Amino acid sequence: MLETPQDPNRVLAALAKRGLSLELSTLDLCFIAALHVRANGEVLASFPESELLRAFEDVAATLSPGAENLRRRATLAIQRLRDQHLLSRVDGAGVLRSGEYSLTRLATGIVEFFLQEEALTRESLTLLTRTLLASLSALREAASNARTSEAWHTDVAAPLSVTVLDLVAGIERRQRGLDVQQEEFQREIASLLNSDWFGAVDRCQTLLESTARTLRELNEILLRDTHDLSANLQEIQELAVRAGSEEAEGACRRVADQVDRIAAWGSSRQHAWSEYYQYVHHFLRDVVRLDPTRALTQRLRDQLSGRRGQRFALTVTQSPPMRVPRDVKPVVAPPPVKRPRAERERPPEPSEAGDAEAALSERIREELAQGVTDLSDLTERITRDLPREERFAVAGRVVPIVAKLARPSVLRERPWVETGEDLVIEEWTLGRTGEQS
Amino acid sequence: MNETPFSRLEDVILDEAFPEVDLALRRGRHIDRDDTAWYGFLSDGQGYLEAFYRRFGAELVRRNEGYFYLLPTSDRLGRRQLSVAEMLVGQALTLLYLDPATVEAGGITTRAGVLSHLASVMGTESLVRALNPKRKKYDERVAQETVRTRVSEALRRLATLGFVDSLDEERVRLRPALMRFAEPVRGSAATAEALEQLVAAGEVVLTEGDDSDDGDDGESSERELNEFSPDEPDPADDEPAEPIAWVEEFAAALDVVPIPSDDPEADA
Repeated sequence: MLETPQDPNRVLAALAKRGLSLELSTLDLCFIAALHVRANGEVLASFPESELLRAFEDVAATLSPGAENLRRRATLAIQRLRDQHLLSRVDGAGVLRSGEYSLTRLATGIVEFFLQEEALTRESLTLLTRTLLASLSALREAASNARTSEAWHTDVAAPLSVTVLDLVAGIERRQRGLDVQQEEFQREIASLLNSDWFGAVDRCQTLLESTARTLRELNEILLRDTHDLSANLQEIQELAVRAGSEEAEGACRRVADQVDRIAAWGSSRQHAWSEYYQYVHHFLRDVVRLDPTRALTQRLRDQLSGRRGQRFALTVTQSPPMRVPRDVKPVVAPPPVKRPRAERERPPEPSEAGDAEAALSERIREELAQGVTDLSDLTERITRDLPREERFAVAGRVVPIVAKLARPSVLRERPWVETGEDLVIEEWTLGRTGEQS
Repeated sequence: MNETPFSRLEDVILDEAFPEVDLALRRGRHIDRDDTAWYGFLSDGQGYLEAFYRRFGAELVRRNEGYFYLLPTSDRLGRRQLSVAEMLVGQALTLLYLDPATVEAGGITTRAGVLSHLASVMGTESLVRALNPKRKKYDERVAQETVRTRVSEALRRLATLGFVDSLDEERVRLRPALMRFAEPVRGSAATAEALEQLVAAGEVVLTEGDDSDDGDDGESSERELNEFSPDEPDPADDEPAEPIAWVEEFAAALDVVPIPSDDPEADA
């Protein structure tokens, strides 16, 4: 019970991989119930095979008198139960002799669920919570005296894990029993009304009152005692933390969680039953008492099926939603369209004047000195490093300077020659270098 | 009235619950003991509120089963009649409300349970015909789908009127106001006589042979009764005749002066 929480996905995967399933007929259930009752009554740890067969025959005779092939059916039933881990052979004698069988924990659990009518009562809850408080007080004493980890394990953690948790589990089991009992009461109330209608009113009210009273008392006990239980657990946990005993601390936490769950059960069930109580109470008063012969249901049924009366429709109010006028805002004339005022002319900015013409002449002179003989070649050299937008202007200024510095020879038909990427000029062939006079 | 916390109408109207309760009642909501605060408020202020709503041409009705609703007795407040689907579903829910099997579940039933009950009481064929009135021939699958849709829609509307509580997609909690559907058959008197009295009181209208209110779009059922009267203005019209009268009544009750309208003729 104190194992670390398992990963649900892994648990499900493992169960699915093993292909586990349970399939029990009423006969199978009655068979294991008969074995359980017989084992308890005669204090038997196991059953010889002959005893199993006899038990099955008794059950079959009760459920289906006159059934044939009982021996064969018993053999099949025993095999089915063994396949489903409900019955196990415990003797280990194999083929030497017929076996001894006992019910497994699973079978016992199933039978106990159906047989036990262990619901929480005021007496059982008081007894259980008192025992629990006594155990926790003893454990608190043991915890304050524990000096070694061994002492913490044996005197505190182990009793918390087994004794205390078993007691808490006992309360929870009885709580579940009471839940089942309440469901049965609800079914019983419906069944009583169905069978006896007006005559069932008193009986229904008694059932409602008794359950409400039980729940109220249980809740009061739980509210009172869970406080003491939690206080004791808190003290033990603090001592465990101080002593560094993680095992005892974890056990305390788990028990505290369960105690909280037990307390929450009380208030939630009381609340739920209170709602149900009110509903049934109103039903008994407004429906059953006002229609003691249950004629209304029949008349309404006839009305719905069209066998009685004229079709009609209920009238209900349907007021249109209130109209809320919106706030009126005066219309504001939009401003005329106009351009923002700005200075159209920029003030002159001082810039350093340079003699660009002289620099260009010098550059052309250097190129000619290197032996450039075509105007197109010269223009390309001069303009190729310039930005694109300046090339055309500079190409135009190159021509008069070249005309001064060199002697161009011009053919009758001057060919147009591409220079650079984006210029086409009329070609000149340049002669010797020198200033033209 | 002497034991209530209110000593005059003004106290009732100034109570913080009043606006919500007033709007809910005007929208056709039935208020029962499950609406604890509203029910308590109405119980305390019943004497004052009955007179208050009478001035609007409506009766604040309180039934023995423990619920209030506003019943329009004139055309001052808008009103509507429940559609065929709403009536059928309402009556089926009432049968379930009276059924001890529902008591076991604490008054909770399912949509599937309502459909099943309707089909078993009316017969599947009659149910399909009742909820597909305009179709002479129909495909069984489509017609049944229409029935399911109409029933779901009717349940939703009945929930807004306080006849049931929608707990989730499937489950509904039945409320005492459902007993209104059983009114014509409550007493031992003949149903026709009981119906006559209920019609005279404005509780119900007779709809024999009237299958026009459950159109395909499901909206026509919400038409106000005023819409059918040629003498009354069209509610869709923007003419604010009714709301102004309503506001004036309301203002008179609060003893405040209404703001005059811009139209001098209207004021005159």
